[in-house]
Amino acid sequence: MDILIENFGPLLEALGTTLMMAVVAGIGSLILGVLVTVARVSPIPILRAAAFGYVQFFINVPLLALLILAVFALPDAGLILPLTPTAIIVLIVYEAAYVAEAVRSGVNTVGVGQIEASRAIGLSLGQSLRYVVIPQAMRAVVQPLGNVMIALAMNTALAAAVGVVELTSRVNKVNLVYAQPIEIFTGAGLVYMAIALAIGLGTGWVERKVAIVR
Amino acid sequence: MSVTSMRRKLPLAGAVLTAFALTLTACSSGSGSAAVPGESSDSGSGSETSAVFENAPVADDELILPGSTMEAIKERGTLVVAEALDAPLLSQQDPTNPDSVTGFDADLAKLLAIYILGEPNVEIVPPASETREALLANGTVDVVFNTYTITEERAEQVSFAGPYFSSGLAVAVKSDNDDIKGIDDLGGKTVIVGANTPAVTAVPEEQPTATLVDFATDPQAVQALIQGRGDAYVQDYTLLASNAAANDQLKVVGQPFTSEPYGIGLKHDDAEFKEFINTWLLKIQEGGQWGEAWKASLGTVVESDIPTPPAIGSVPGS
Repeated sequence: MDILIENFGPLLEALGTTLMMAVVAGIGSLILGVLVTVARVSPIPILRAAAFGYVQFFINVPLLALLILAVFALPDAGLILPLTPTAIIVLIVYEAAYVAEAVRSGVNTVGVGQIEASRAIGLSLGQSLRYVVIPQAMRAVVQPLGNVMIALAMNTALAAAVGVVELTSRVNKVNLVYAQPIEIFTGAGLVYMAIALAIGLGTGWVERKVAIVR
Repeated sequence: MSVTSMRRKLPLAGAVLTAFALTLTACSSGSGSAAVPGESSDSGSGSETSAVFENAPVADDELILPGSTMEAIKERGTLVVAEALDAPLLSQQDPTNPDSVTGFDADLAKLLAIYILGEPNVEIVPPASETREALLANGTVDVVFNTYTITEERAEQVSFAGPYFSSGLAVAVKSDNDDIKGIDDLGGKTVIVGANTPAVTAVPEEQPTATLVDFATDPQAVQALIQGRGDAYVQDYTLLASNAAANDQLKVVGQPFTSEPYGIGLKHDDAEFKEFINTWLLKIQEGGQWGEAWKASLGTVVESDIPTPPAIGSVPGS
């Protein structure tokens, strides 16, 4: 415990980076994921195919492989970005695929009759998605989205492998000096657990507020 | 790779491998004076690679104390070693033949196995450098051969036999960089280091204004340097030398600025085993196997005679 207290400042700063990555990537992946879902249920075949390909690609490639590709292969292709934004962008596009799958399952809970009715009263496709389908779909998938967000928060730890100084990376450095992996990594594990619990509790609260009682 | 250009870049090899005088006579009062089968004083000066294991010393039965770690290993029939699989010249797995792991650390691990078991029966557990202490504490591995720098903090968690080798951190830059001549020129620069290497703490001590970027593996760090994510790469001299030998976009500049004594990690407070291994280290140093292992690995990229091994127990924590 002493070690964690002695290194409180640097660890807190690194925790800040972890939380910042989780929040920015969380919001980004929710927005991108919903857009992908919209493309997937749209009547335009090429959009549907593109969205399908996007989801399949990112669900089937490990995040670490994507991070290493983005950090080491893109510069060879002439695109070099700072490390933390690179990691956040990769997290957004990766988790968006999972968000899209969750939201799509929510879209399937919206009755076909409602969509037909919304078209019948003269709403355009965009309007019926915006006012009828997506709000109901999102309410139905609060819990699955919460799980995706928890996974995202845990996945930020992989950024340590490509040089981002977040919690895991900082904890590794502290351990390098003190050589007490069990104490140090247990401490870090508890912090990650607290983050996951906070997201889980928040998700439960939101779900109770917005749940559609059927 | 060009050997001649390597040699031009690395004239400092002798200085790196810090030499300490060995006081051999002082140690013969222990168990080391017993005649050892297969060991003869004039062996080990052969030049072929197999000389590493030729006439390798085997421990007398009386050295395998009842109830000791050595006895447990002998009964098991394999020595379980934490060593890297991706460190060229130190412990590198042949991708086409996974059973073949070669390098300085790997050869010493085999020599230790021969000493205990009579044959080079080694089971390798690849260590993440952040879990070496835990692997030793919970008994997953018997010993760690992993360029494991002896420090006093670490010595509170594990015991160190040795040091068996001494190296140091050095600076590498892109071949076309002529501004950086060594650690003194790194103030305010972006410096790439390997995560969990001594460079993480050593660079800020020397250059507090340098910004550190760390990568999980050495190949990633080299790639990052070449792609311009940092101005310099600070890593163990031996590793940089082998990188520079394999990649002419990279060069090593200046002298090593630290001294890193490598120890053999053991479970904490296993005094019998530590003494046993220190005795073995003296035997392979006298018998020439230490020098042959060096010549077959690090000696292939460094232009220097076989260095004098550091004196056992010469470092705080060992």
